[in-house]
Amino acid sequence: MNPSILDPKEPAETVAKRPAKSRWTLQSLVYKFTLTTYRIVAILVLYAVLIGVLAYAWVMGFYAVNSSWAAPVIFSASDEKSLDFMQKLVISRQSIEDIKVDIVRQQTTLAEMDKYRASLQALDRELQTAIESKHAHDQLTGPQLAALDKQKQADNRKTQELLTQVRQIEAQIKSDLAAGLITKGDAATELAQLSQSETAFTDSRIADVMLSDEILDKTTIGTKSLEALEKQAELRSDIAQLDVTLSVAEKQLQEDNRQADRLHDAIAIAKQSPYYLNSNGSGRLYFAFVPYDNQASATVGAPIYDCYLNMVLCRKVGTVKQIFLGEQVINHPIFKSQVRGLTILMNLTHPESAKSQTVFLGRKPLLF
Amino acid sequence: MAPILLWLILFLCLLISVIKYIVGLIMRLTFPSAKIRKDYSWQPTVSVLLPCYNEGRTVYNSIETISKSNYPNDGFEIIAQDDCSVDDSYEWMLKAQRDFTNIPIRVNRNQFNCGKARTVCNALQFSSAEVIISIDSDCLFHPDAIRELTACFAEPGIGSVGGRVGVSNPNDNILTVIQTIVYYAAFELYKIPENWTRSVCCISGCLFAIRRELLLEIEPTLRARHWFGVPVNQGEDRFLTHQTLLRGYTTYINNDALCWTAVPTKLSVLFNQQLRWRSSILRDFFYTMRSLPQHVFKLHPNTVLTLVLTPLGAAVGLLMVINRMVCDPGSAFGPTPLIAYLGLAAAFSWAIKKFSTKETLRHPFAFGAYIAWSITSSLFITPLALFTFDSGDWGTRAKEQQETQSESLHP
Repeated sequence: MNPSILDPKEPAETVAKRPAKSRWTLQSLVYKFTLTTYRIVAILVLYAVLIGVLAYAWVMGFYAVNSSWAAPVIFSASDEKSLDFMQKLVISRQSIEDIKVDIVRQQTTLAEMDKYRASLQALDRELQTAIESKHAHDQLTGPQLAALDKQKQADNRKTQELLTQVRQIEAQIKSDLAAGLITKGDAATELAQLSQSETAFTDSRIADVMLSDEILDKTTIGTKSLEALEKQAELRSDIAQLDVTLSVAEKQLQEDNRQADRLHDAIAIAKQSPYYLNSNGSGRLYFAFVPYDNQASATVGAPIYDCYLNMVLCRKVGTVKQIFLGEQVINHPIFKSQVRGLTILMNLTHPESAKSQTVFLGRKPLLF
Repeated sequence: MAPILLWLILFLCLLISVIKYIVGLIMRLTFPSAKIRKDYSWQPTVSVLLPCYNEGRTVYNSIETISKSNYPNDGFEIIAQDDCSVDDSYEWMLKAQRDFTNIPIRVNRNQFNCGKARTVCNALQFSSAEVIISIDSDCLFHPDAIRELTACFAEPGIGSVGGRVGVSNPNDNILTVIQTIVYYAAFELYKIPENWTRSVCCISGCLFAIRRELLLEIEPTLRARHWFGVPVNQGEDRFLTHQTLLRGYTTYINNDALCWTAVPTKLSVLFNQQLRWRSSILRDFFYTMRSLPQHVFKLHPNTVLTLVLTPLGAAVGLLMVINRMVCDPGSAFGPTPLIAYLGLAAAFSWAIKKFSTKETLRHPFAFGAYIAWSITSSLFITPLALFTFDSGDWGTRAKEQQETQSESLHP
């Protein structure tokens, strides 16, 4: 029931309280005008609320069941993700350059070490040859010298016996001089000759002792041999240490090469990222986020539609150019909840569609 | 800036509500002064006014329960006033008049359909009692209800006293479960701080007692209520309470004065009922704002805050719901609100079972559906109420004509 403002059945007491007729008429006109305006506004507002709620419910329902929508995304080179991506890319590239320098340096070092090792090995071989040759020589000359030493010792014994006679001759000379049988000069000359004989004997004994040493060296492992062997051992130790260093360096080189390969692969993958394309591509690129639920609609070459009111009066605005498999997480353009999905590159004939809230892949969402 | 302001207002409204519930609980447990001093020895003459429109047999049941009141039979009368029902309500009233002869029952009929407020005023013309009790014709009353109401008038300054409205059909369906908890929380907690300051802002029209001289003073204003010439027939209970306070009297709800109403079981009926109530709240808000200085100086701050913040909260709540729907549609359906509502349901169902056995809930967790109702209520009812001030019907009863007409007259 909607009572009239001029109800003829109005109670008497209310009627009695009415103001004068002219004032009443003016007031009733004001009331009538106000009421009419109020009712018009009410109808407009309430229908607007009703339409708004129905539209809201429809949009919610539509996006809950639709499986072909995608949300255009405009990447800016200065946004956080792009900057982060480019920073990582630059760091990766720098790392590759550093590794390359390391590899070259390691290769040079390895070559030098190889050369050095070869020279050491040659030296080792020569040393071994020298040791063996000396050993063979010693084995040959040692017995000969031992025989000669025996001969020498026999000679010395004979000389010693002769020196006994020389001492008798010396006494004879001294007695002859004392007797005046010979002059002092003759005596001195003769005595000098005798002294020379003793000196020669002493030298002979020294030579014998030295010969014994020589024989000892040749027939046993002496200090000289040990020195040679020590040098050989040092040499071989150097070679072994060099081998270890070479092995480590080679492994490091291999690891650096693998690291470089990995970085190359990572950069190659990164180059497939929309952020890389956006930062390095020539001209404007248009991307869109596709939730996993709608992934089936995202195929290369699939048509893209842009619609008025996000769902009706759609027109084709381009095609899907490329699909990036890297996961993206964005807020649902309608529900505002977080959604996981992937990114596509769009080839847009109508660039303004990149600013639409949603576009549709494959087909028009409502067939018109 | 604007959203922050809205959030602040909403937060303030919620804060005041939460504080009122918490303070209500504390006062209920610890503050004796929150309860009125009753004097059962004072037994004034009482007229029970029963405005009726299209209630069918229910009005007979209401009269029956009132007639069984333990108030002295020579001290009260029933004045049943039919507002030109199109069903057999009037016949049921006459039948009650014939059947319950222990008390005087006067049955009258308006000359034309004029709405509940004017029907109450028309019934008042036939009364000469000291205390007037206006009741709803679809309620059932406890035998002590009249005695409990009149006993409260012993406190000086009391102008109007209300009763506690319970739910007679708590387990009909989800809607009745929700309403049972809401009714219980409102009467047993929310109204307690208002009771403490004797400044209840709205006494339910289901059971509303008022001093005769006060009602006579307010009656012309009540009759003259209009909205740009359109008579206002709804929300007379809120209006009478408001006027009582503005005239310097105090108001109180006596939770021992019991009555039970059958709450709506259909969404459409509930929607219409809530629409009428929201409309009354908003009407009251505009009236308050129009004369805010008078309110600030005359009324208790608790009353002013309630009169201003309740409708403001509803309006801001609407904006917030729209904001959430647009910015974060899933937020209302997350687990947190549901857990909170289920927790409230568990607490209140325990309290109801312990303190109000008649309303014991079999499936209290159905209260979780209140989330959906609160969103619907915020979204639709507030704007609809704002733009239907020119509506003046009896609300849901007009639409029930066909159903009630088909019932038999004979009980």
